[in-house]
Amino acid sequence: MAALVHQFLEASALRFPDRVALLHGEITATFGEIDTLANRIASLLSRIGLNRGERVLMIMENSLENVASYYGVLKAGGVCVEVPDKSTLSEASYYIENSGARVCILSKGSAQRLKDIAVPFVLAPAMTFTHKGITTFTWDDVLQCSGDADDPVQDENDLAAIVYTSGSTGRPKGVMLSHKNLCTNTASIVSYLGLDDSDRIMAVLPFYYVYGKTLLNTHFMVGGSIVINNRFAFPNSVVKDMVDKEVTGFAGVPSTFAILLNRSVFAKTEIQSLRYVTQAGGAMAPALTQRVLQHIGNASLYIMYGATEASARLTYLPPERVVSDKLGSIGIAIPGVEITIRDNEGNPLKPFEVGNICAAGSNIMKGYWQDREESEKVLKPWGLVTGDIGHMDDEGFIYLTGRKKEMLKIGGERVSPKEIEEAIFESGMVHEIAVIGRPDEFLSEVPAAFIVPLDEKTFDLEALKAFTGRRLSVHKHPRDWHILRSLPKKPSGKIDKEVLKQ
Amino acid sequence: MSDIQAKIMEFIKENFIMGRSETTLDVEESLIESGIMDSTGVLELVEFLESTFSIQIDDEELIPENLESIKNIVEFLKTKGIS
Repeated sequence: MAALVHQFLEASALRFPDRVALLHGEITATFGEIDTLANRIASLLSRIGLNRGERVLMIMENSLENVASYYGVLKAGGVCVEVPDKSTLSEASYYIENSGARVCILSKGSAQRLKDIAVPFVLAPAMTFTHKGITTFTWDDVLQCSGDADDPVQDENDLAAIVYTSGSTGRPKGVMLSHKNLCTNTASIVSYLGLDDSDRIMAVLPFYYVYGKTLLNTHFMVGGSIVINNRFAFPNSVVKDMVDKEVTGFAGVPSTFAILLNRSVFAKTEIQSLRYVTQAGGAMAPALTQRVLQHIGNASLYIMYGATEASARLTYLPPERVVSDKLGSIGIAIPGVEITIRDNEGNPLKPFEVGNICAAGSNIMKGYWQDREESEKVLKPWGLVTGDIGHMDDEGFIYLTGRKKEMLKIGGERVSPKEIEEAIFESGMVHEIAVIGRPDEFLSEVPAAFIVPLDEKTFDLEALKAFTGRRLSVHKHPRDWHILRSLPKKPSGKIDKEVLKQ
Repeated sequence: MSDIQAKIMEFIKENFIMGRSETTLDVEESLIESGIMDSTGVLELVEFLESTFSIQIDDEELIPENLESIKNIVEFLKTKGIS
């Protein structure tokens, strides 16, 4: 098994140099072509003096360039910091400052939105950035690179990725994942899904999201292929692509399936090549699971559970048990992972007793980037404390019953209400603010804001919305705004969000 | 600009552009590629069109040719008798 993540690509490029590995609209690329492009990117990064363990920020939608950049950064000994392609300038500036990245790789779309970005080196399609002192490289410059730079010294315990995830403290925290974390988790997923070089997955999930990234690495490990489709806004185009490109697999979060079944031709379309479907990224209502089962023909449905802190995957529910007797469970531990249910002191609990879901295995993160305090809160001698609450039955099947931390799950993405509250508070227009989740048919949850204006007479809600719009990505914008005279409080003086939820 | 187009632009500005003053609305530009709307944004737009213009939009009609840009939406509404 590969010890370094980019060896998935290199090994497949050796075995199947001319096999198509990536399909995106009219674009196709073989393993050999992607490996060559990744080598050129690694050369460029070496030329500008990228050091082992140095972070490279990537703000791109899924694409050939994105895939080649990911493996290119790793080949150069760097650490990939991939963040949402729709990040605002304020969010991108935070990622640059927090990760200490000197190099940023942008797509055309993100470059146009982030032309005021301040970072020493940028690789992006040709355009002008406003900051003086930025050295820019284009994809033409990459193609001029020889691609034969010496391999840097690397170790499986080196960091491969920092993945930002919302924390209870507001601003996103960087989850540090090593090559070993990612390689072992990838191999485990390949084994329980039974993937081989005939598999082809449809990727509508972004690669900056760990679930999306597992689709890429698992299929590149086995010599399979990946179909990129960034147009889930038009789900029918995805369904057509699945038929035309004969995909064997599909992966989604609950909202993906809600949209596919409620507003597309998916239910009326037979996708003969489809062998399996996976679902993760939050609990899917059993009723929706039943509907998915009804419409995927003979394909198997894998319900899965994980965490960014676990490189992605922790449990899966074997397809036959979804149908027979375990609907509603998130399944059993994947190979190489041990799951335990423990009380707050870390003592293991008996079957059916509700407690903290904890996980141990070589896929568990090294910690949060430059945040020892937060790392120590979740990394215990018995493993990762996931923050999820649940129980295990007498056969080892796990059931989620809640979350300890007050997190929103918006379309599969974890968002801290505190991050939204802090952004709104910074406007200087509100006296008090509370953000809670409101149930939503498609996204599972959307943010709703309850505010007490600082000055009722001069308060301008539209101006506050505009301020928030500039600070936060679209999915974090509150959908409802409620203006109150005061917020309900607990005896301790804390805001009582349970009352607001009613 | 037609009233129809103005209504659509107003909806998009109010719901998706909020405060992003650098974002301009070009009637021929893809609302998805430009990052103005995402997958749920399209569904919100569809609900808005259905309720505002009292029309029914079928799942089969949720395709880029009908909804990708403001221009496409205006043309699509014409096929539904709205102009």
